[in-house]
Amino acid sequence: MHRINIVSESFLKFKTSKYFGFLVLVVMTLFFWGFFRLLSPSNFGTSRLVISYFQTSIQYAVGGCGLYFIVVMGLFDFSVGANIVLSSLVGVLLSRQFGYWGLIFGCLLCGTLIGAFNGILYSRLRIPSMIVTVGLMLILESVANYVVTLDKSGFPGKLSNSNILAFGHAPWNYLAAGIAFLLMVFLLRFTKTGTYCNAIGSDELVAKNMGVNVERYKFIGFVLLHFFVGIMALLTVSYGRGMLAVTGMSSMDRNFKPLMGTFFGVAFKKYGCPVTAIVLGEFIIIMIFNGLVALNVPTTINDFVTGAVLLTIVSLTNRGLKGSVVK
Amino acid sequence: MSDVILRSENLYKHFGITTAVNDVSLEFEKGEIHGLIGENGSGKSTFCSTLCGIYPISSGRFLLEGKELRVRSQVEANRHGVSIIVQEMGTLPGLTVAENIFLGEEDKFMHGVVKNTGAMNREAQRLLESYGFKHIIASKMIDNYSFEDRKLIEIIKATYFTPKIVVVDETTTALSQSGREELFTVMDRIKNGGNTVIFISHDLEEVIDHTDRISILRDGSLVGTVKSSETSADELKRLMVGRELTNRYYRTDYGQSVSDEIVLSVDNVSVPGEIQDISFRLHKGEILGIGGLSECGMHETGKAIFGASYGRKGSVTLKGGYEVKSIPGAIKHSIAYASKDRDTESVIIANSIRDNICLPSLADMSNHALLNNGKLDSFAKKFAELMSVKMTGIDQYVSALSGGNKQKVVLSRWLGKDSDILVLDSPTRGIDVKVKADIYALMSELKARGKSIIMISEELQELLGMSDRILIMKDGRINGEFIRNQNLGEKDLITKMV
Repeated sequence: MHRINIVSESFLKFKTSKYFGFLVLVVMTLFFWGFFRLLSPSNFGTSRLVISYFQTSIQYAVGGCGLYFIVVMGLFDFSVGANIVLSSLVGVLLSRQFGYWGLIFGCLLCGTLIGAFNGILYSRLRIPSMIVTVGLMLILESVANYVVTLDKSGFPGKLSNSNILAFGHAPWNYLAAGIAFLLMVFLLRFTKTGTYCNAIGSDELVAKNMGVNVERYKFIGFVLLHFFVGIMALLTVSYGRGMLAVTGMSSMDRNFKPLMGTFFGVAFKKYGCPVTAIVLGEFIIIMIFNGLVALNVPTTINDFVTGAVLLTIVSLTNRGLKGSVVK
Repeated sequence: MSDVILRSENLYKHFGITTAVNDVSLEFEKGEIHGLIGENGSGKSTFCSTLCGIYPISSGRFLLEGKELRVRSQVEANRHGVSIIVQEMGTLPGLTVAENIFLGEEDKFMHGVVKNTGAMNREAQRLLESYGFKHIIASKMIDNYSFEDRKLIEIIKATYFTPKIVVVDETTTALSQSGREELFTVMDRIKNGGNTVIFISHDLEEVIDHTDRISILRDGSLVGTVKSSETSADELKRLMVGRELTNRYYRTDYGQSVSDEIVLSVDNVSVPGEIQDISFRLHKGEILGIGGLSECGMHETGKAIFGASYGRKGSVTLKGGYEVKSIPGAIKHSIAYASKDRDTESVIIANSIRDNICLPSLADMSNHALLNNGKLDSFAKKFAELMSVKMTGIDQYVSALSGGNKQKVVLSRWLGKDSDILVLDSPTRGIDVKVKADIYALMSELKARGKSIIMISEELQELLGMSDRILIMKDGRINGEFIRNQNLGEKDLITKMV
C-alpha cells in the first residue's frame, strides 16, 4: 500500500512537471506519424518527407511564437497576414539594392515598425484589438499593393536572384527559425516581458496592482509579435521565392496556421513548455494535413479533420473550470 | 508597545454616493497585532485597501512613522514597508511560484534586461523552506497548487521583506487548521520583530485570542478600540451591531400569517465546496430572508434555486411538481433571479435599457419568431416607468445608469415577466436610501399580490425589516431559523452567523 502511494505521488509530481508536457507532445507527434505512416506507407512519413514537413512547420511556428505574446494577454491581431505580405515585399524591394542585408532588415524592420504602430494605435484608440487590427489589415494590404508598384525590376515581388534564396532551405532556414525559438525562450524565461505578459493575461487588475505597467507591456507585446512576424516573412518569402500583394482581406488566411501553434503554446503553458508546444504543435498540424493529402482526402475533409484534431487536443489539455467564463 | 507606527487621520473613502470609510482616525502601535472587526460592508477591507494602494484615498491621510504615506499600488506600498494578504485569491495563474512571490520586484534579479531566473527560483525556494512550506516547489507553475497552498505563498509574498505593517484580510477562512497555525506563527514572528499586523477576521474568538487590541468599524465609522484581554465576544458583537435601528423603510406589520400553500420546495441541495444539504419550503406571499456572513453559501443558494449552479445535487421543486434544473427551465416556470454581482451577472452593461428589460420576455412578445419593435418599446417603457428608472429614454445604455437604477432595470425585467417567485440576492447592495425605499415598497406590494420572494442579504436590518422568516447560514449550511417578530434583533441573528 505504501509503495502504491509513493508511486502515485511520484506520478502526480511528474504530471505537473514540464517533462510531462514534453512527453505528451512527443507521444502525439509519434502517434500521428505512426497513424498516417501505417495507412499510407509509400507516400507519407519517409525521412525525407518528415524533414520537409518540419521545414514547412517552422515558418508557422515562428509566427506562432510572436502571436503567443498577445494571445496570452487576451488580445488578438488580424493584421499578421497583411504584415507578412507587406514585410516580404519591402524585404524583396530592399534586396534588389542591398542583397541579403536588404532582405533581412527589410522584413524585420518593416515587421517591427508595423508592430509598434499597431501597439500605439491600440493603446491610443482604446478599442478592442480585433477591431483595430482588422482596420490595419486593410490599410497594410493597400500599402503592400503600393509597394509592389515601386519594384521596377520586371519581377515585382519575386526573389528573382537565385543567390538570395538561402533562407528557403537548410541550413539557413533552421538557423533563422532556431534563433527565433531561442529568442522566444529567452524572452519568456529570462526577461520581465514574459512574466508580465502572462501576469496581464491572468488578471490585468491584479497585475496593475503589483506595479506592472499594463499599457507598456501590451505595446511591447505587439512589437514582439510583429518582430517574429518579420522573421516569418523572411522565411515565407524565401520558401515561396516571392510574395504576391493581395486585397480584400485575403491576407487573413495567413493568420491561422501560426495561430494553431499558439493555441498549443497556451494549452501547454501550465507545463512550462510553451515554445516546445508551439514548434511540435505546428509540426503535428502540418503532419496531419500532409497525411490526409497522402490519403487523397478532399480539402474540405482535410480542413475538417485538422480543425477537429486541434480543438480536441487544446480542449483536452486546457479545459476551463466548470462555470468559468471562457471568452 | 507604546510607539505609534501608523496613524490614519480623518480618512474617507467614497464610491460614488456610498461612503465606505467615514472619518476614521485610528492608531496602530509598534509590535502589536491589531484586530479590525465589523459587519460586512463596515469598511474594514476598504480601509486597508486604501492603506495598501488598492483604492485611492478620497480625503484624509495615513502617517507611517510620522511621514505621510500615499501609495498607488501594492508594490509601492511594499516599498514603504506595508503589505497585504487579501481575502480573495492574490496570486496569478500562469506564473511560477517564484514569479508570483517576486512579481513587481524582479529588479533584484536583473542584470540589465536579463532576469536571473535560476537565482530567483533559488531565493524563492529558500524562503519557502524557511517558512516551513517545503512541499511547494518555487520553479513550478502555481496552477499546480491548491487554494490553501497559494494562500501560504501569498503569506511569503507579503512578509518575506520584513514589512513594518502587514494586513491579514480575512485570510483564515481559506486555510485549514494547520494553515491557520502557520499564519499565526508568522503573525507572532512579525510582532516579535517589532512590526505590526492588522488582522481582519469574522471569527471573534480567533481575533480575541491572537490580537493585542481590537478596533470596531460600523457603517464605515470607527466605533472604538478595546484591549483584547479585557473584552469578550459578546461585547464585540454588541459594539459591531449596537447602532439604533433606522427601520422607517421597512414593513411595520407583525404577526401576519403566511399562506400554507407551498410554492417551492428545496430538498437536500448541495453544491460541491459551496453549500451542503440545504432544505426549506417557500410559501405563497412569503418573503423569506437568507442571511449570514459573505462566504456562508447564501449567494450560491440563490443560484442553486435558479438552476445556475454547477454540480448541484438535491432537488428544487415547484408547486406543480416541476423540478428546476436549468436557468431556462426556471424562467419558463416563473422564477426570477437578480444576482448580487449586478454588473456582470444581472444586467448587460453595453446594451440598452429596452433590451435589458425585454430579454427574458422576447418569446412572449414574438409573433412566429418575428419581433414587434413597437411592442418591445411600449413593454420596456411601461415597466421602466413603473419602476421610476431615471433615464433619458429606453434606448439609453445601462452602463450610463447608477447602481440603483441598474437594479431597477433588473427588477423591471422580472416585473415584466410577471414572475411568481423572485430570488433577489442583495437587492439593495450599494444603492441609495431613496431607491432602497422604492425596492422595499415594491417587495411589499409583490407580497400582497401573492408573489413569493427569497431575499438574500448581508444586511441584518434589511432581513429583520422585510422578512416573514429568516434562515441564517454558516459554513454552507442552514444554522438557524427565525420567524418575524418584534423582539427579534440583530444580536439573535449574529449568534447563528459567527
